[in-house]
Order: sequence, then C-alpha cells, then structure tokens
Amino acid sequence: MIYLDAGATTLEKPASVRHAVEKAVRTMSSPGRGSYPASRLAEETAFTCRMEAAELFGVSSPERVVFTQNATHSLNIAIKSLVKPGSRVVISGYEHNAVTRPLCAIPRVERVIVDTPLFCSEQMVEEFQKAIEQGVDVVICNHVSNVFGYRQPVEEIAALCRKADVPLIVDASQSAGIVPIHLEHLGAAFIAMPGHKGLYGPQGTGLLLCNCEHIQPLLEGGTGSASRQQAMPKELPDRLEAGTHNMPGIAGLMEGIRFVRSVGVEQIARHERALARYAAQKLQELPGAKLWLAERETEQTGVLSFMIEGRDCQELGELLAQRGVAVRAGLHCAPLAHRTVGTLETGTVRLSPSAFNTKTQIDQFAEEVSDILRKNVRL
Amino acid sequence: MERCLMIARSVTQAQRMARVLEQSGILCRWLKAPSVLSSNGCSYAIDLEEKYLAKALLLLEQNRLAPLQIYKKVNGDYEEVSP
Repeated sequence: MIYLDAGATTLEKPASVRHAVEKAVRTMSSPGRGSYPASRLAEETAFTCRMEAAELFGVSSPERVVFTQNATHSLNIAIKSLVKPGSRVVISGYEHNAVTRPLCAIPRVERVIVDTPLFCSEQMVEEFQKAIEQGVDVVICNHVSNVFGYRQPVEEIAALCRKADVPLIVDASQSAGIVPIHLEHLGAAFIAMPGHKGLYGPQGTGLLLCNCEHIQPLLEGGTGSASRQQAMPKELPDRLEAGTHNMPGIAGLMEGIRFVRSVGVEQIARHERALARYAAQKLQELPGAKLWLAERETEQTGVLSFMIEGRDCQELGELLAQRGVAVRAGLHCAPLAHRTVGTLETGTVRLSPSAFNTKTQIDQFAEEVSDILRKNVRL
Repeated sequence: MERCLMIARSVTQAQRMARVLEQSGILCRWLKAPSVLSSNGCSYAIDLEEKYLAKALLLLEQNRLAPLQIYKKVNGDYEEVSP
C-alpha cells in the first residue's frame, strides 16, 4: 500500500516506536500507583516523554506538558477552560470540527469567523486584528489547515493576542513535528496536538501544552496524588490527567518525539513539502485537474487537496484505495474550511505524505490517478 | 546517618526535584511519601541525607521547586522541620 494519509494518522512509524510500545506492554504498570519497579519504570518513562516534548516545544517545565488521548481531547480541555457561555470567540475560516463542535456545544457563544481566502496571510492578519480590536474573549487558530495544508500566520496572530492580552488556543494537529512551535515565544494559553500524526506516536496519544492559569478538568477521577481531597489537584499535570495513563502509547510517543528531534523538524517539513509539490506537478498534467497550491512554498506544508472536474472525489478515493493508494476524500471533518474555499458541495481528495514517503511512491500515485482517468474507470 | 524527606506537589515535581539535585551531585531518591506525612493522602517525597538539606533547599528554591513540607526522621518517627 502507498500510504498518503499522514494527515489522518502516520501509519509507518520508526522501529523504536514499535519496540517501545511492545516493551511497555510487557514491563510497565500504572505510573503513580505503586512503589515497585514496573510502576517506577512507567513513571520515569512518562517524565522523560514530558521532558522530550518540553524541549521540542519550548515549554519551561515538563508539568505543563499534559498527556491526552488525541488533539480533540486536548482542544476540548482548552476550549472548555476558556470559553464560557456568552463568550465572543474569533476563529479562522479553516478550523476543524474539533474546534467548531465544542464551540457549538457551549451556549450563546458568538463566533466571529475570519474566512479570508486561502494563502492570503496578510489579509488574514488584518482581519484578525480588526476582530480582536472589536473586543474578544478568546482567539482560536489552526496552525496548518488539515484540508489545504495552509500554514496560517499564527505567529502574527499570537502577537496580536499578546498585545491585546487575549488568550490564544492553537490547534497544532497538522503542524506538530512539521513546523517549529515554541509555546513561550508564541505566548499561547494552550497548544493542542495529537501524538499520532507528525510526532509518530501511537494512536490514543495527544499532548496539551499549557500556559494558562484557568484550567478546567474535563474528567475528574483518580490521579495517584492528594487522594483525600475530593477536588481535582490544582497542580499540573495531575489536574488534567485523571485515570490510568496509556503507558504503551506514551512510551511510543516518547520515541516518536526523539525521532522527530533527531531528524529535525525543518528537514521533515522540506521533505514533505517537496513531495506534495512534486505530486502537484504531476497532477497538473492531467485533464480537468484542479489543485490548491500556494505560490509561496513556505505557506503550505505537505498537505495537498485536489479534484478532477467531472469526477466524484469520494469515488476517486475509493478507486485509489482499490489500487493500493491511501488518500482521504470528502470533507475531512472540516466543513468550515471547505465552505471558506468553496468546496463544501464537492469535497476534495487530499494527499498528505509523511517523512517515510518517497518520490517513487508519488510517481505511482500519479500513475494510478492518470490510469483511472484515461480508462474512465468507475465504481 | 540522619535522613530527611521533602514532600513534593506531584510525582512530576518530585522527579524534577530529584533531577535538579542529582545534577548538582546530591544523592537522593524520589519515592512515595509515608501515609502519615501525606495530609491530602498519596504524595511523593525526596529522600536525602540531612547534611545535604540546606544546599538542596537552596537549589530547589532557585529552580522554583520548593517542597511543601520537610521532615526529619528521628528515632523512627518524623518531625516536621522548617526550611
């Protein structure tokens, strides 16, 4: 299979990740519960994973690196900590349902959507500035669009938020491990990310980087600490980590982060971007192909959306799957992004390579698309 | 040799405290604190020789890792010590 759906999850992981998961299943019990070696090993591993993440993401102390199940879990904690009923929230026009659905669930939230055109960063910053100047309680911004790979001007938006003293939540689902992120430089209140995409950890892992004092637990339960008190501990990470940890996941995530740090975020970004732009070049030769490609290379990561005129994108995705090519078609759980760009009715086909994909695989992908069109293959 | 226990806010804080102290050459270990010393139930502590206590507290203060309480082990019992 040619797997080009890293935007959903990275399927090929470094061997060290697989080994760490297997070892954890055999040797680690629950951290923070016992004094015996299996519990201590779990505690050490969890701590080391937090330290690795803190180093990668510019977090001053590992307590502020909270383990979650995925980016959706992280975003729910962040949003429900900061957004109260009746809040005014400014978001970009490229947000995922993991942001828009929690906002819809909070009563009387006024959403201001900055839906500027794709790859128009200067205009986006201006519109965010206007929206913030009109008064806002929270700003939420996707770092990289999961549909179009658009690297949004989060650094400039963060500067506006710092100046206005407005808390910022960054959704780093498609940027963690691919675009440099520094929590303290950005001054964001929260940065949410999955462990299982650009950080090459197992599914069932995520991180929430916290730089905020008003933190509401999403879950209450046992933390292995301060057990007599019935309120969740005030201290991080315990406040947000009720229940037994996913130690095989965390052990794998630790190795995934080490892999990213050893290869280098910039190197991974260059590789994925080059593959996406090469794919775009091949697709542009096909009749009826429409692509969303940034003129300025640095404004787009390795995520590329395309469609073929007259062809249903879900059908195309299905046909490619039958030929051993894994892409994702449809709305990508981001109807807002599709609405902003004008693809809500059709959806798109998205390819998103990882550090492990090759140019030869892109050639094969393009050949399959070409063959489907040439022979007019249908389901 | 006299030993002390410094109570931490969480296991993660205990791990950080141990790391700071070890990096400065102070032998210590982190462990679950005895129940009698955990007013809130279930806490972690740093165990070290009393002779290192003053230096340890200074280092921890500098790293914003001051313990919640400090106890000295005296004849099998624990006595709270002020920093």
